[in-house]
Amino acid sequence: MGLESMIGGEGFLTTKINDLVNWGRKNALWPMPFGTACCAIEMMATFSGRYDISRFGAEVVRFTPRQSDLLIVSGRICLKMMPVLQKIYRQMPEPKWVISMGACASCGGVFDTYTMIQGVDQFIPVDVYVPGCPPRPESLLDAVFEVQKIVSGEKLDSGKHGS
Amino acid sequence: MSDDTPPPETPPGDASPSNQQPAPHPVRAALPPLIESRILDEVTHGGQTGFIVRTPDQRAILEHLRFEQNFEFLKDITAIDFLGRDTIERFQVVYVLYRIPDKLNIRLHAWLPEEVESVPSVVDLWDSARWSERETHDMFGIVFDGNPDLRRLLMPEDFPAFPLLKDYPLKGRGERRQFPLVRPRGNEMVEDAPLPYPVSIGRGMHTPEYVEEVQRESKPRKK
Ligand code: SF4
Repeated sequence: MGLESMIGGEGFLTTKINDLVNWGRKNALWPMPFGTACCAIEMMATFSGRYDISRFGAEVVRFTPRQSDLLIVSGRICLKMMPVLQKIYRQMPEPKWVISMGACASCGGVFDTYTMIQGVDQFIPVDVYVPGCPPRPESLLDAVFEVQKIVSGEKLDSGKHGS
Repeated sequence: MSDDTPPPETPPGDASPSNQQPAPHPVRAALPPLIESRILDEVTHGGQTGFIVRTPDQRAILEHLRFEQNFEFLKDITAIDFLGRDTIERFQVVYVLYRIPDKLNIRLHAWLPEEVESVPSVVDLWDSARWSERETHDMFGIVFDGNPDLRRLLMPEDFPAFPLLKDYPLKGRGERRQFPLVRPRGNEMVEDAPLPYPVSIGRGMHTPEYVEEVQRESKPRKK
């Protein structure tokens, strides 16, 4: 059924170590949900049975950054929350990727006020942006696919991601 | 509503001032005359009555309402900035009181001049004043004398402004850009230096151009 049937015979497989590692990483993303507002509700829906992000290998939701490699920033980030978000991003081990979910996290949304961060990409690197207010769970799933594409293109010796 | 139908014994068109004067509010009538005389005005809106005084007269009234008239619940303390309006002072500190047995709401508005930094705290009358006063301080920079813990409540502790003042711009003065950019480089996380922090602009420390503009557009205050 799975890999074994493709390998066949003696059970050998030739591939590049780069591809093998990326294949493993992209199909086992462990998200760290950073849900601060209404977008987090859609994120929860994405994790739950109806949309079921585990079909794509990203179901192990960790509430500790030390055990995760995909940060999903979903919701408004205010002045007091930005240092927390940065701290959590720094605590995540390499390699790590970031999804900025929703209008608020990506650009401040309708909240153009003194206390709202106008886009978290000013202060942490963001890989994939999800438009919408809130984005549908399908959009978040699509963002996970985009992250998977990014992951499969990573080079182990690129110097990025702590290698 | 009651003005629409004048009492039948009064001929129409002969409304003497005493007819327009409603009976004093029972809470006001129960105040001692010395305190009652400090009330400048009385407004009723939506069935809720508010008395308007000047600081620091509100302290004596609040004490009386607390201990003699048994207003045991302080719902909220907040403030209003009337910058650019035709009012006698710039700020109003608003106390919203509630008497639980007869479900009676009373507001007390205290005019606070711009030059006066502080009003007396009412933490000794109601414990719930602690956070209300902290919030009002956080948003308007009004100091509540006697509050034991007057730190900021909502904004970051080092926030350099009081954001609900009318002369503070909605989008801030650059405070929301004051974070380093964190990004990975090789094995490490590096931080690019943040932008310089904006000039501190506490109360009375707004830019001269802005003050000029506001003064040009505002009507003179009646004192
Ligand atoms: S983008 Fe819309 S749904 Fe998402 S946090 Fe902002 S306001 Fe809420």
